[in-house]
Amino acid sequence: MLDWVDIVVRSFIFLITLFLLTKWFLGKKQLSQLSFFEYVTGITIGSIAAEVTMGLERNIMHGLISMSIWSLVPFAIGLVSLKSKKVRDFAEGKARIIIKDGKIMEDNLKKERYTIDELLEQLRNKNVFEVSDVEYAVLEPNGHLSVLLKKENQPLTAKDLQIKVAPIKEPQTVIMDGNILDEPLSNRGLNRGWLNEELDKAGVSLDNVFLAQVDSYGQLTMDLYDDKIQVPSPQEKPLLLASLKKCQADLEMFALQTESKDAQRAYNKNADRLTHIINKLKPMLHV
Amino acid sequence: MTVASNVKQCMVTLKAAEATLSSLAQKSTEDQAKKLFHECMLEVGKAISDLKKRIAQLEFEEPQFKGK
Repeated sequence: MLDWVDIVVRSFIFLITLFLLTKWFLGKKQLSQLSFFEYVTGITIGSIAAEVTMGLERNIMHGLISMSIWSLVPFAIGLVSLKSKKVRDFAEGKARIIIKDGKIMEDNLKKERYTIDELLEQLRNKNVFEVSDVEYAVLEPNGHLSVLLKKENQPLTAKDLQIKVAPIKEPQTVIMDGNILDEPLSNRGLNRGWLNEELDKAGVSLDNVFLAQVDSYGQLTMDLYDDKIQVPSPQEKPLLLASLKKCQADLEMFALQTESKDAQRAYNKNADRLTHIINKLKPMLHV
Repeated sequence: MTVASNVKQCMVTLKAAEATLSSLAQKSTEDQAKKLFHECMLEVGKAISDLKKRIAQLEFEEPQFKGK
């Protein structure tokens, strides 16, 4: 066989093997999530493939055997470490606490051979410029620093302010590139008829829509090709809130106007009922 | 505008709100929100029936305001 034909054949064989091995044995892990061990074996497998592809005096079978061992052993260790915490700690390393109770653990820094500059750099990556803002920080096995800020430095949440907010579910994308996607639409219990109606209401044609999504309250939001057209924002919820408020005010007025005591009582009762409803609905209807 | 027609207008607005709440309850995927919308819809329904009674009373007392 000609040398170059041999190289072509070998290249294809090892290309495919490498592809399959990485696909089967690595799973969905990102490169940065690989443990050091997996990282090194990956490099080794690659170099074996390169070596055997170019070194024509080497046997293809030998290369394949070596590659499969180099990938099977880490795979097996991975399987075992799924079950056993001890193996996991040994193979993948343990997280180490770097800052605790707002104090830097110098000994742990030394054990990880981590300089103060590196620590500051990692903190800055997390938008933390002052060490005193940090309550707790852990150096993960993959080298990332996880930071828990002191409570007063954490961003405010609705829970902190004790505000009730409307719960949401994931939105569904129903139009892409002017094409209606039927599956997400039916996931929401909606159909093309409803969608066409909504498009008519907004006054846009289907082929002008680049992207449209339905939120968890059945409201349609969209982005058009023609960015000069202003898409009206959904009005249903704010309108509902406004009309409830209007009725509540009306009822109070009727109560003031009427002479009959019974009617006044009934009006007031219903005004209170509406106030109650408005208070309950406010977090839901606020946009 | 008479009192009776004002009350009628208010009732109609409430009916529209009831319908909107009902459709929101249908369309929402979040269970909690669904339930809340439904409860509010029923409450608005009670207010509507109270108003209806009042309208009947008004029409009885002042038949000249009776709607077509």
